[in-house]
Amino acid sequence: MTDVVFPALSKETPDAEGVLATWFVSDGATVTADQLVAEVQVEKVSAEVAAPVGGVVHLLVAEEATVKQGSPIARIE
Amino acid sequence: MTIIDTPAAPAPRASHRLTTSKAMVEAIAQEMERDPSVFYLGEDVGAYGGIFSSTTGLLERFGPQRVIDTPISETAFIGLGIGAAVEGMRPIVELMFADFMGVCLDQIYNHMAKIHYESGGNVKVPMVLTTAVGGGYSDGAQHSQCLWGTFAHLPGMKVVVPSTPADAKGLMTSAIRDDNPVIYMFHKGVMGLPWMAKNARSTDDVPEGDYTVPIGKARVAREGSDVTVVTLSLSVHHALDVAESVAGEGIDVEVIDLRSLVPLDREAILTSVGKTGRLVVVDEDYCSFGLSGEVVATVADHDPRMLRVPVQRVAVPDVPIPYAHALEYAVLPRQDRIEKAVRTAVAG
Repeated sequence: MTDVVFPALSKETPDAEGVLATWFVSDGATVTADQLVAEVQVEKVSAEVAAPVGGVVHLLVAEEATVKQGSPIARIE
Repeated sequence: MTIIDTPAAPAPRASHRLTTSKAMVEAIAQEMERDPSVFYLGEDVGAYGGIFSSTTGLLERFGPQRVIDTPISETAFIGLGIGAAVEGMRPIVELMFADFMGVCLDQIYNHMAKIHYESGGNVKVPMVLTTAVGGGYSDGAQHSQCLWGTFAHLPGMKVVVPSTPADAKGLMTSAIRDDNPVIYMFHKGVMGLPWMAKNARSTDDVPEGDYTVPIGKARVAREGSDVTVVTLSLSVHHALDVAESVAGEGIDVEVIDLRSLVPLDREAILTSVGKTGRLVVVDEDYCSFGLSGEVVATVADHDPRMLRVPVQRVAVPDVPIPYAHALEYAVLPRQDRIEKAVRTAVAG
């Protein structure tokens, strides 16, 4: 089991919260390693999130949800 | 007994979900991989990745020789693109906002669009001019226009306007491979940008690999029998919202996404209006002397008796786009105005 974490986008304000902008996969989908799974945003800076490993993905937060940098957004089994 | 020979449905293609901007970038990257003569230039298309994410990641992948940041001189760098194109390259040149055509129109309509004609067909200009269009996010009168009717009015260029991720990819591939100059107009509201108002229709399945969409072919975005809505770009999304909301009342709306203005798929317009007898045209460009009139003329030229009720046009009234949010929404063809036009058409 591997966590997919919200990337640390803001070095100056590591505690700043971000937004899960878009999920490109649905809950329970099978993903491959390095597949694009989400786009996130902190203070107008956006970044892509790729699956660190392959497997079945379980989404932990909803689109538009506010998330702390570094916290898990999905789990891959 | 009648035997109907149904052609086998094409095998489903592998796909993946992307935003419109990522689908556009995927097509550019695939063509740059395939063809070393393809390159991209414009303002902030390198490290910034395009102010509306039209080139995100391309600089890292292809380097500064093929993804070129230019100074703020549209006449100079569009001219550079034209020169490269006539010498055999396939440049993609980005005009940051369509509104900026005013400072570089001579290069576009007197050179890019006419060299093929003036050379008696001997010189080709295989370039793509990409440009961001549209309003809805308070960017004011000089950064919110669509102006596709102006480009389409001037002969010598093809004009494409995708509304979905799949079409953004397919039309970009076709535009790059086309030997004619193609204007590729992307609405900021369909790109799926995280900092814009959320638009669920801007993320969708995109076919894997090599994918083309023919230029000059409209798409039936939704089949319906009561009224035809002919539209394009972000207005397709709004028209689909309306179609879904009135479906429960038994109003069956057909939505035609033109996708290309030049060439215009007049056949698709006539086929749909022939079926429904009712026409609503939704156009985010100015109302007078433009696309909406051209669509109506297409029907009138063919046979005005096809229309059972008067045509409804939902477009920007002939005023500059306001900055104030409420005023801007009042002039844009959004769901409220489209729904009113649909109801008027079916009541007739």
